[in-house]
Amino acid sequence: MHMHKFEKIWLIFGVGALLVFLSVLGVSAFYLGNQPPSCLATIDQEKVDTLPPFNEPGLKKVEGKDWDYELIFVAAAFAYTPGEVEVPLGAKVKVIATTKDVIHGFQVAGTNINMMLEPGYISEYVTTFDKAGEYLILCNEYCGMGHHMMTSKIEVVE
Amino acid sequence: MAQPQLHKKTNSKLEETNSLKGTLASVILLGFFIIFTWVGVYFLFLDRF
Repeated sequence: MHMHKFEKIWLIFGVGALLVFLSVLGVSAFYLGNQPPSCLATIDQEKVDTLPPFNEPGLKKVEGKDWDYELIFVAAAFAYTPGEVEVPLGAKVKVIATTKDVIHGFQVAGTNINMMLEPGYISEYVTTFDKAGEYLILCNEYCGMGHHMMTSKIEVVE
Repeated sequence: MAQPQLHKKTNSKLEETNSLKGTLASVILLGFFIIFTWVGVYFLFLDRF
């Protein structure tokens, strides 16, 4: 088959770029262990308030795990519990969140924490809070009349 | 008499369609734009917690 020299060049260029992007994705998933925030952990959404860890929302120190703190959030129309929380600078935290009613978003503006909270599922994200400041949490999944007022706040303090 | 003229015409058309310099340039430009934006977003991801 006759192929123009230039066609060979951009085919190699395109296939090469595709391979690089897929390798980055593969390393992230299979070597670094990154996974979607909601990954198979389930909960009975009717009993969220009574089941640990969601019966005590907020920041909790934990021992013997890969992270130092667990930050528990419960979302329900149209608020998060807790409404404001302080996290020490440099703490390695596992954010664990779920919803009691409909689908909510959980986006910590200006960070990589951006999860969808689905009824019946637990969403988790492990990160190190290494920049001090105030971070706004907001709902980015339309959940009803009060959606635009559904916020919370994380303060990273020294 | 008409035949030689016809031959000449097809030859010049072939040469025109065979030049892919502009296509190569636009493909490479688009490729670098995609790579540049992808790398930019990736480093933004690495920089944030």
